[in-house]
Amino acid sequence: MAQPPRITTRKRKIKGDGAWAYAFIAVALVVYAMFTAYPVVSAFIISFQDYKPLGSTFIGLDNYKDTFGDSLFWKSVRNTVVYTVLTVPVALILSFAVSILILPLKKWLQTTFKAVYYLPVVASGVAMSVVWLWIFDPLPSGILNQFIGWFGMDNRNWLGTSATSMFSLVLMAWLSSHGTSIIIYLAALLGIDNSYYEAADLDGASFFQKLRYIVIPFLKPTTLFLFVTGIIGSFQVFQNAYLMTGGGPDNATTMVGLLIFNNAFKYFEFGKAAAQSLILALIIAIVSFVQFKFAGKDVEY
Amino acid sequence: MKKKAHVLASILALSVSMTALAACSSNNDNGNSGSASPSGSAGSSGSASASTGAKDTITALLPPVSANFQNNFEQMEKDFNAMYPNLTLKIEPASWEDMTQKLDTQVNAGSPPDIAFIGSDGISKYVQQGMLMDISSAATPDMIADYDPAPLGYMKNGDGLYGFPAYVSVQSIGGNKKMLEDAGVDWKSVQKNGWTYDEFRQAIQKGTVKNGDGSTRYGFVFATSGVTSKDYLNILVKNAGMPNAFTTDHKFAYTSKNFLEVLKDIRQMIDDGSMPKEISSIDAGKRWNMFLTGQTMITGKGLATFENSAKQNNAKLKANDGSAVAGSIPVDYVVLPVPTFAGQPAVSQAAVDGYVTFRGKKEPTEEHKANVVKAAYFLDSGKNMAQTNNELFLGQITKSARDAAASMTTDRDPDNLAAETLLESKAAPARPDIPTDLGAKEIKLEDEVIVPKFQALLAGEISPQDMYDAVKKAAIDTYGADGVVQD
Amino acid sequence: MGLYKQHSGAKPIRYVRNTAIVAVLLAFALATLFPIYFMIMSSFGDPVEAGAANYSLWPQKFTFASYSFFFHYSEYSYRWLLNSLIVSACVMVSNVVFASLAGYAFSRIRFRGRGALFALLLSAMMIPYQVTQVPLYILVVNIFHIQNTYGALIMPTLVTVYNIFLAKQFMSSIPKEILECAKVEGCNQLQIFIRIVMPLSKTVMAVMAILTFMESWNTFFWPLLVTNTMDMQTIQVGLKNFRFANTTYFAPMMAGATVSALPMFILFFSLQKYFLEGVTVGAVKG
Repeated sequence: MAQPPRITTRKRKIKGDGAWAYAFIAVALVVYAMFTAYPVVSAFIISFQDYKPLGSTFIGLDNYKDTFGDSLFWKSVRNTVVYTVLTVPVALILSFAVSILILPLKKWLQTTFKAVYYLPVVASGVAMSVVWLWIFDPLPSGILNQFIGWFGMDNRNWLGTSATSMFSLVLMAWLSSHGTSIIIYLAALLGIDNSYYEAADLDGASFFQKLRYIVIPFLKPTTLFLFVTGIIGSFQVFQNAYLMTGGGPDNATTMVGLLIFNNAFKYFEFGKAAAQSLILALIIAIVSFVQFKFAGKDVEY
Repeated sequence: MKKKAHVLASILALSVSMTALAACSSNNDNGNSGSASPSGSAGSSGSASASTGAKDTITALLPPVSANFQNNFEQMEKDFNAMYPNLTLKIEPASWEDMTQKLDTQVNAGSPPDIAFIGSDGISKYVQQGMLMDISSAATPDMIADYDPAPLGYMKNGDGLYGFPAYVSVQSIGGNKKMLEDAGVDWKSVQKNGWTYDEFRQAIQKGTVKNGDGSTRYGFVFATSGVTSKDYLNILVKNAGMPNAFTTDHKFAYTSKNFLEVLKDIRQMIDDGSMPKEISSIDAGKRWNMFLTGQTMITGKGLATFENSAKQNNAKLKANDGSAVAGSIPVDYVVLPVPTFAGQPAVSQAAVDGYVTFRGKKEPTEEHKANVVKAAYFLDSGKNMAQTNNELFLGQITKSARDAAASMTTDRDPDNLAAETLLESKAAPARPDIPTDLGAKEIKLEDEVIVPKFQALLAGEISPQDMYDAVKKAAIDTYGADGVVQD
Repeated sequence: MGLYKQHSGAKPIRYVRNTAIVAVLLAFALATLFPIYFMIMSSFGDPVEAGAANYSLWPQKFTFASYSFFFHYSEYSYRWLLNSLIVSACVMVSNVVFASLAGYAFSRIRFRGRGALFALLLSAMMIPYQVTQVPLYILVVNIFHIQNTYGALIMPTLVTVYNIFLAKQFMSSIPKEILECAKVEGCNQLQIFIRIVMPLSKTVMAVMAILTFMESWNTFFWPLLVTNTMDMQTIQVGLKNFRFANTTYFAPMMAGATVSALPMFILFFSLQKYFLEGVTVGAVKG
């Protein structure tokens, strides 16, 4: 999926290297097998069961059938896709732009800005959600309402109406979830050797040409990483909806992650939750596969 | 850095493999290795019961029921151990919100604690999972006789008894005494005789005042953001001839005409301007703030402790040390009944929470059952109950706690106390007869249809008729046309 | 930093350009920082209990009362911080070491099953944790019997797929020639990793360290599940104990949130050097 193994002539070297490679990934594989693969396989088995802690019964594909016939599941899939489309690319472009803009500054300024942008990620999600609830206070005295009041707009019931609740969650994501991407982008940008720019300068390349022919290709693996993990994270988003709206109003912000959580814990339909997770995982896998196909060739020098 | 990383890595690898080994070995001797704590109730219930008077550990998962509750855990554990030297009580603290999540994971994994403090409405869900422990045979007649029968009924499901009740908390509404009097509401009479929706509507219309600065003082504000909207609806429909979602012959009640009536009235109060149009995202903290700062005359839901909170804020205002809620005014909190709809009798919503008993994967022995009951009764009677309920301004529901509370003082307003007692007497009765599968379907219907549609209704996005139709359709899909009330 | 023209162009132009950039960044920073500002500001308020939502933009009062309230709320307040520190530090170190090793293997060594293994790892990331946590809980608590230990808190996240993926993507841009050179000189893969790859990957390792530490520090749900005494709880679990039935101690909660964010700042600034240096191929000898 990531890279088709290539046939090389130096087979013997590869053999020795292979042993090293397996040694290098051994710990990762053991941890993975125990704490990730095992639960995933369990979930897979549970998805064919009517799960009860004291003894489950096998019910075949019923959980999957129920899910496909459930209009709320499709509504939540649509909500999740809307949320992802609105947040992931914007966050990516935003953090890319910010990292590029930070580059020419003096070191202390770079540090300060990085720290500033990283702050929202550092603060605990629960405390932040309390503050965001204040910001989205529906009365005219609410923070965001005061702000739009300066432009002569009436107060809005941000989280309370279907029209604005999704937008409110998206706004929250725009302003608080790019810290990680900025840091990763900056790390990648700093890894570009100066000689590339110097060569380009000699050719008389403009700023945008350098951006186009050096920076963007070089950042491809990083962008791919951020895009894939961003989409995975966004498809599984749960906490914001859970803490801010509980999925309301009228299920306008019910995401698949929240629905799975509700099925597993509120209604104790664990088998159905497992089935929905696997369907969700399949959707994510297809999207990621397309991304890898589209931009997957690792840049080689 | 290289070297450091190296050393750390090898230490880490070593410790990982050692923990793995330790895990294996403790697995073999059934989790009884000295340092590890007893491994959940599943293990302890199975192993520690061979002989009489054998050592046993009882685990309890408890939220901060009252502000000082969790501080007393160590003392409780000691007291219990002094009373029963062979028994150890281990209390795990958790916050209210996380408690359910933790409990549910443990239940799904088949290893819940022996005792958890939860609402009685959660019982049917756990009974359906088969994870509750029926203590009707293990509880001694003395214990049973100590409890008031009405709240004890809430802990039953079918024939089983699944724990002891801790308190009955009536959920009603509360008003600002001065504003009520200004609006011409005879609150003393309302406390005694109740009021109809039309009387209530007039009162809150009078209570709504446009202030000079363009802001509004509302007549009525209820916390309805997110899932709290469920409380609002439930509290109102109880007074519209639907004391429970199911009628006595197990038909789903919310398809009756009265339900539509209540929905129309709810919308009307907002359209009148007596309630804020943003009501759908006002949460519990916000509306209490509005009450203390004089932005609303009546607030809901109202709990007995609110009298206390208001008094504390008044005292802080008096002290004038800046610790009172910003912008607040002195407020006398008046307990009020919920208005009645469509000429139906008043029925108050009561939340009965309690110490619910769970079982693990293995069938619990009689011995262990008896021990768990001892612990639950210890936590939930006499001094322990008296202290907690006193702090919460709630009534005692065991004789032993009443005796223990006799010496404790409370600073309750006599009118409020009388009103609260009257409301308690009108509490909806427990319904252990409702089959668990009907109950489970109802929870899902409520969460996936009723609450979302109700939020949309409050936000003014759909009409009462739309909501009624949606609920009716979903109810018929779930229970069949014969399973719902058609009038 | 040759992306921007530095040698050509008049000084005033550069000055104007940088000022404009700073202005844009500052505006965005303000929007970003606003919630944090609110958090910190409210933490200096009085520890009053109430739905005292107070939206004034300037602190009404400046007191550390809420901080002392936080630390006096429970005798375990310091213990929570210490637990979080121990857990996060272990997780951070093991991730940096093992994820870089694995990332290097996946990106720069060709071996049988590489693509398939990596796809397998990655696909596990796609299953929402809501579903895997019950089997995981069964594994750790009912099978291993290690609940309420540091082991239970640390082990599931010893190496995360996220970090392996991150390391792989970064290391894929290390020039092939350098590695081949080293091989020709007779280095084995471990030597190559230690002498060449690690120095070249300082930046990504620093990034990984801070991200992992933060992730582990902010984890709430897993520690809640596997701890059952106050002395084993982490700061995030402890923080939530502040919330009561109907009212919340806002200021002390914000104080707690501020306190809990501090260690990450310290780490952030101490790793700053590695972010800024930028690793260039020329800097590597050998």
